[in-house]
Amino acid sequence: MAILSTTNLKKIYGNGENAVHALDGVTLSIEPGEFAAIVGTSGSGKSTLLHMLGGLDRPTSGTVTVDGKDIFSLKEEALTIFRRRKIGFVFQNYNLVPVLNVYENIVLPIQLDGNEPDSAYIDNIIETLGLSEKLSNLPNNLSGGQQQRVAIARAIASKPAIILADEPTGNLDSKTSQDVLGLLKLTSQKFSQTIVMITHNEEIAQLADRIIRIEDGRIVTRENM
Amino acid sequence: MRVANKKCIRRLAFKNLQSAKLRNLITVIAVALTTVLFTTLFTIALSMVENFQQSNFRQVGTYAHGIFKELTKEQFDELKDDPLIKEWGLRRLAGLATDDVFNKSQVEVSYMDENYAKSGFTTPTVGHLPEEGTNQAATDLKVLSLLGVEPELGNEFTITIDVDGTETTETFTLCGYWEYDEVTVANHIVMAESRLDEILKKCNNQNRNGRTGSYQLNVMFRNASSIENDLKTVLTKHGFQNDEVGKDNYIKLGINWGYVGAQLFDSMDFSVILGIIAVVILIIFTGYLIIYNIFQISVAGDIRNYGLLKTIGTTGKQIKKIVMMQSLFLSVIGIPMGLLLGYGTGVLLAPVVIGATSDNDSIYYASASANPAIFIGAALFSVITVLISCRKPSKMAGKVSPIEALRYTEQDHLSKKKKMKKVSKKGISIFSMAYANMGRNRKKTFVTVLSMSLSIVLFILTVILSNGFSMEKYLSKQISTDFIVADASYFNVRMHWGDRTPVSDDIVALLENMDGITGAGKTYGEADFFVYDFIEEDYIRNGRLSRYYSAEDIEHYISSMPREGNQILNEIDIYGMDEFCLNKLKVWDGDISRLKTEENVIAAVYFEDDYGNMKDWTNWAKVGDTVKIRYSKETEYYDTQTGEIYEADNLDSLPATASISQRPKEGTFKDMEYEVAAVVSIPTSLNYRFYANEQFVLNSEQFIRDTGTSVPMYYTFDMMDDEAVKQNMEHFIADYTNNVDPSLDYESRYTYAGEFESFRNMFLLMGSILSSIVGLIGILNFLNAVLTGIITRHREFAMLQSIGMTGKQLKKMLVLEGLYYTLGSVVISFILAVISSPLAANVIENMFWFFEYHFMITPLFITIPIFALLGILLPLISYRFLSKKSIVERLREVE
Repeated sequence: MAILSTTNLKKIYGNGENAVHALDGVTLSIEPGEFAAIVGTSGSGKSTLLHMLGGLDRPTSGTVTVDGKDIFSLKEEALTIFRRRKIGFVFQNYNLVPVLNVYENIVLPIQLDGNEPDSAYIDNIIETLGLSEKLSNLPNNLSGGQQQRVAIARAIASKPAIILADEPTGNLDSKTSQDVLGLLKLTSQKFSQTIVMITHNEEIAQLADRIIRIEDGRIVTRENM
Repeated sequence: MRVANKKCIRRLAFKNLQSAKLRNLITVIAVALTTVLFTTLFTIALSMVENFQQSNFRQVGTYAHGIFKELTKEQFDELKDDPLIKEWGLRRLAGLATDDVFNKSQVEVSYMDENYAKSGFTTPTVGHLPEEGTNQAATDLKVLSLLGVEPELGNEFTITIDVDGTETTETFTLCGYWEYDEVTVANHIVMAESRLDEILKKCNNQNRNGRTGSYQLNVMFRNASSIENDLKTVLTKHGFQNDEVGKDNYIKLGINWGYVGAQLFDSMDFSVILGIIAVVILIIFTGYLIIYNIFQISVAGDIRNYGLLKTIGTTGKQIKKIVMMQSLFLSVIGIPMGLLLGYGTGVLLAPVVIGATSDNDSIYYASASANPAIFIGAALFSVITVLISCRKPSKMAGKVSPIEALRYTEQDHLSKKKKMKKVSKKGISIFSMAYANMGRNRKKTFVTVLSMSLSIVLFILTVILSNGFSMEKYLSKQISTDFIVADASYFNVRMHWGDRTPVSDDIVALLENMDGITGAGKTYGEADFFVYDFIEEDYIRNGRLSRYYSAEDIEHYISSMPREGNQILNEIDIYGMDEFCLNKLKVWDGDISRLKTEENVIAAVYFEDDYGNMKDWTNWAKVGDTVKIRYSKETEYYDTQTGEIYEADNLDSLPATASISQRPKEGTFKDMEYEVAAVVSIPTSLNYRFYANEQFVLNSEQFIRDTGTSVPMYYTFDMMDDEAVKQNMEHFIADYTNNVDPSLDYESRYTYAGEFESFRNMFLLMGSILSSIVGLIGILNFLNAVLTGIITRHREFAMLQSIGMTGKQLKKMLVLEGLYYTLGSVVISFILAVISSPLAANVIENMFWFFEYHFMITPLFITIPIFALLGILLPLISYRFLSKKSIVERLREVE
């Protein structure tokens, strides 16, 4: 059964003649443990799709189902809580909280949920991502690659079902990009998580199990690696 | 190299401004409020100075700078057009009105031109000055009421004028009148010059005393800085002099002492000036805290922009200019608003403050100053405050390195030094996150908290200080009996019971028969006789006078005093007191009851300072000493060198070289000897209310017997302890002194309590206004800090929400941040209040003797809920604006 699926997802900005179809009937389904890359040019609607998948933005019509739950049937607060339990985000510009140190950033979603972090699990993530030495640093003192690794750690710390990554390597050089993605893939396998990643970089996309191409708000081809 | 880039810089400054409307609004309000504080302060201060000067002028009788006296027509014509003289006025005196109704007033009859009348406060408020060739005359309402003439233009009145020894009776037609000013010494009747000439001719005036008919030239110079010099320069220029009295070309001068700067600063205590300076610094500091904070924050927010400007070639200097220009532009909007508002508050407050701080009799028309210096000064100080506040932020903007600017986040450089605290596996909570956020920009947090604390501290101080004024202490000093009734002049600070009018038998008889009086008595004062004691020269040298005069002056004084053998006759003041009054005296030494039972005993009076300490230099007599006193019906004038005796009448014709003194007239005096039974102080409310001589107290019988007079100065009494009965008495006396016999006046505990209350309320009012304006600034600062804190973090919040922070949690965090500000302010206020209140109390204690310091913490508790509420509401309201945008929109904004 699909962990994540959409049916006829539409997002229309404006109306009448000025209407812009950012998403024009997207139907897809992603299996548990899959690493999918969504590829498209800028303006193709890939970011909008990702935001819908994460419940950050509401569609004009259509549904998004995560782990069997139609997420847009939830109220705003409930959606947020669902999100922090089921979905981890990794952003292009890391989006770490500058006043919190590395460790605090990583466990933030867990503690926002009022839970105690599973320390063996967290230590394992930290070890895997090579952040053990940096735990007390503030984000400003880290390199871009290090910051993104912290962001990945944060995304998987709460054991979400899905990780949504929005151009996670967009601000990194190619060597670091490869490293970070390798780690992302490694951890997702290790902790058996599903990844949906947006990128416009074909080379990066090649690392995924599956590439979904999107153009003008529609999915154009499906490729299986 | 100079480049014509001003326009470009200006455009950049404006464009930057336009991008932050809310921030600009807050800045403009902050600047305006700062200006309000300055304007109000300056309006009050200048109004006090002007009212003080004005009351001096009214006492002097003119605001003219100086006067050339007793001129001939030729001299007058010669002097008046001197270019140094900006304005002049002419007066010619006919003489004094001698009608019986004017016994108690000096009424001068003269011609005045329009300028003279204006500067002498004798311009008619109804009607006009007399026209030439008519019988018209103008005068004040008191003269009319004394004459029994209705103040109606066209009414006729007749007076007798003493023109240089010749009496003439003249009738005038009333053409104008003005309100009588009690402060002014003389009343005036003004007639036309043609009429004056007629009268002088009729009386065959010889102008023997040099005054009648002569020309008096009142002058104004460009300014009052060197009046004496200016007067003398004018004289010298025209061949006159003021140094040798006998010579032909001698001209008498008068300088308006109301202008003398020293007078003003004598009266303005050093502590008052210090107080004003302290308030100015406080205002600058208050303004600095907010304006600095706003620009600090906004520069931090715009730092990427400035970095960008630098990468494309804007110099640091130009960037500094851009910041400065923004602040000045906002000042141009804020300052005029502040000036208007501040002047409004100043106008409202000035009369209250002046009324409460000066002795009530000297200032009748407390009015606000409209001196342009207020506005110039306030605007200047505001601009200075703005410039000081922007100095650092503009420097910071100018110094920014383009590369760093791109990486800049709103965070202290301090925190970049690794805080190697051990990683606690506990992680974070909303509380610790909010707390960590306070440390993002420590400077901003500190300045905001300090700015909020300032108003709390001011409020605490205001309450502590105004509560510290002890009514009990004030009353016990000011009034020692429940009621005092006397002739109005006794209570008048300028008259000091000058006309020696006894308190009327009628009222005493009435009061004696009223219910509720538990004790009463009279005190007899000196009238129609002169009193001297016999003292050693050395007492004069070392005693009271040595505190005021130089040794040289004292020797001169001693040589001019009448003497008998080795002893000097020194004028004293004595009292004859009933037992009731004797019981009210403060006894330092000896036994006052001996005055009630024995004959020929006396009490020596020593004065106290405001804090109740005896001034031991105010008398010489000790318990057991013998005081020899001479009572004299009349005095005579004599030349201390030649011994020649003069009649009081021909003192005018004395040679200038004569050194004249006054002494008891042979055959009119008797001497008495007393033993000093007690050394006492008389409560201020029961003494002569002035201090010029050594004072002694006798009991009433002895006084009446020895002086041969019995003129009661006042009647005073205590009442049973029943508010209703006292209240009743208050009404009765108030009504009696207002309606039945207005020449009487009274004082009671109520009048003093009222005076005290109005003083304390003034203090409370000023303090509250000051602390609420400062508080408003503090709140603005807080609002700005919260708003910018939210705006600059909007993307971060979006991210927090995207990783699962609920809106509720976010709001909770923001509210916690707000409450941390409140908590910080409360803690800092408490510390500052504990430190500053004893210091402030000390200053106040030195200024007001009836002050008692008690520390109070209640006002802090009053402010806590207010600030806590603000701490909760401001973040929530600000958050509402933020949450209008969706998470995605916010996430994208910077990307």
